[in-house]
Amino acid sequence: MVGTPVLFIAIPLMAAFLIPLLGMIWKELVRIVPGLVLTYLLILSINLLDHVLAHGPIVEVIAGWGPPIGINLVFSALSGFLVVLMEFLGLLVWAYSYRFKRNVDYEPALKYFLMLMMLITGSVGIVLTGDIFNMFVFIEITSISAYGLTAFYKGRNSAEASFKYVMMGSVASTFLLLAIMIIYAQLGTLNMADIANKIHLMNPTLKIVSYIFFVTALGIEAEIFPLNGWAPDAYAEAPGPVGAAFAGIVVKAAVYAIIRYTYTIFDLSGTFNFLIIIGMITLIIAETAAIRQEKLKRMLAYSSIGQMGLVMVAFGFGTEEGVFAALFLMLNHAIIKSLLFFSGSYLTYNSTDKKISEVNGMSKFLPITSLLFALGAFAIVGLPPFAGFWSKLAVMTAAADSNMILIMALVLIVSVVELVYYLRVVNRVYFYKKEADVKPKRPTVNALIVMITLGAIILLVGFYPDAVTGLLHKASAGLMDKTQYIHNVLSVR
Amino acid sequence: MDSTLFSYLDYAVYGTAVIVMLIGFYGAMVKKSLLKIVIGLSVIDSGLNLLIVAIGYYKGGTAPIFSQGFLENFKSVSKMTDPVPQALVLTAIVIGFGVTAVALALVIRLYRHHGTLNIDEIKNLKW
Repeated sequence: MVGTPVLFIAIPLMAAFLIPLLGMIWKELVRIVPGLVLTYLLILSINLLDHVLAHGPIVEVIAGWGPPIGINLVFSALSGFLVVLMEFLGLLVWAYSYRFKRNVDYEPALKYFLMLMMLITGSVGIVLTGDIFNMFVFIEITSISAYGLTAFYKGRNSAEASFKYVMMGSVASTFLLLAIMIIYAQLGTLNMADIANKIHLMNPTLKIVSYIFFVTALGIEAEIFPLNGWAPDAYAEAPGPVGAAFAGIVVKAAVYAIIRYTYTIFDLSGTFNFLIIIGMITLIIAETAAIRQEKLKRMLAYSSIGQMGLVMVAFGFGTEEGVFAALFLMLNHAIIKSLLFFSGSYLTYNSTDKKISEVNGMSKFLPITSLLFALGAFAIVGLPPFAGFWSKLAVMTAAADSNMILIMALVLIVSVVELVYYLRVVNRVYFYKKEADVKPKRPTVNALIVMITLGAIILLVGFYPDAVTGLLHKASAGLMDKTQYIHNVLSVR
Repeated sequence: MDSTLFSYLDYAVYGTAVIVMLIGFYGAMVKKSLLKIVIGLSVIDSGLNLLIVAIGYYKGGTAPIFSQGFLENFKSVSKMTDPVPQALVLTAIVIGFGVTAVALALVIRLYRHHGTLNIDEIKNLKW
């Protein structure tokens, strides 16, 4: 072992607050240091994941107070997989924005990278922590930096989008804290494994109330309908790479929190059906809303919400196959939607409205970006040689095994809807004439490298899904085995 | 007699906390001024913090500070109120302060951009 899970929180937090001081020495350090930190954390997370797959989960005790009293971090196959994904996407977002923000002044770049680091730290913390109040703190770290990043550009309506997000986010934090306090008042503990162990002692009514509060609060971050009012505006008004960070990092962390509460902590019957129902409603509403959008980023945002709905449906099957399908979808959504946000924000770089009509004929001016956007569009719809196909197939097989034919039909119908609105954009990019007043902007070298990396991963997962399925199977088995989780955490002294 | 009095006190404190939270929700959801919305959100937080502290309290408990005279006066550690909710409230207050600061900064940005605090007049994005 080369490090411990606590470094995922300690190092980026320290780096984030050292950046302003380092910037006084040499301004370029503001851009360089986050990249170094994220590279180190990515290597560390891959090493730890390797160790965990061979030797079982690592439970890190903070400050010498073992569970159930102190805070503990759990690095299992599931959380390890998500941490690797988040650090990897964080690194890509950094590399993409390295020169993207080059033309802005020193001070905005400082704030941008500082908040990006905090966003990644908070999301990784949500995934790693084994303590519900600690999770609340990390959710707040994530949301406050997300508010800041949403309001990053002064020219756009970003403050309005961000204020909307703040309103929903602070109501969310109220509900989350209320749910935590209901559990604490009933069981006298905040440790997840300990709560899961004692949950049968809890008053059934209060159990349902606190579960609903949890899902309401986390649903706001995880973009579940009808709590996703902030999402399209935030995605549309935030800088392009931040949209990728939201879709790839923040939402994944919130979904993880929901499934951790559903699968491990609460033992309520009917929660799985509840997940299926809210997932289906989210999926249908978001995909039908996406088809009506005129702005590219809003369309991508609604598509992202729809995908999260599908993830919820897959988690709602409650079987190991369903969890596997959902995790596969999360992985694919993270890489593909990031690629779409990265390439999409170059397709509409110089336009103020980011309208879909403004991408007309971009393929002649931005051949590689357009090709990668098309690749991402085909992949997320689920056309065969690309990554998205395997995850949709996994959802279908999981649905078939749970005898949910209606959901299979729904997934197929929704795929057709997705095909329509993505092909509409790809069609414009390739077969329309460019409008005279639209000035394309060539992507920087870093952005090209990032986009090509993501494209290569999509193809790799598409042709060799076995590269990731082994890990995903282990992660889903880990999530299903609740007693093992409780034992792993509570046996640590 | 004593226990009924205790439960009345209990309900009074919890009820006050819930009422404060509801006032906050009213302010945040109904009022049109951005500043009043931010105040409403902050009032919700206060109500919640009151509720959390009330959960940790029981009648006759003392402050959870372990000092020299403590054992002589109270004979047992179980006379202390629960310190965990108080620690949580401290954290929650700090977080609430941060969120309020961010919200107020955004209100300033919105005011400079639109020249008004009325939420009905700020709708470039559909609310």
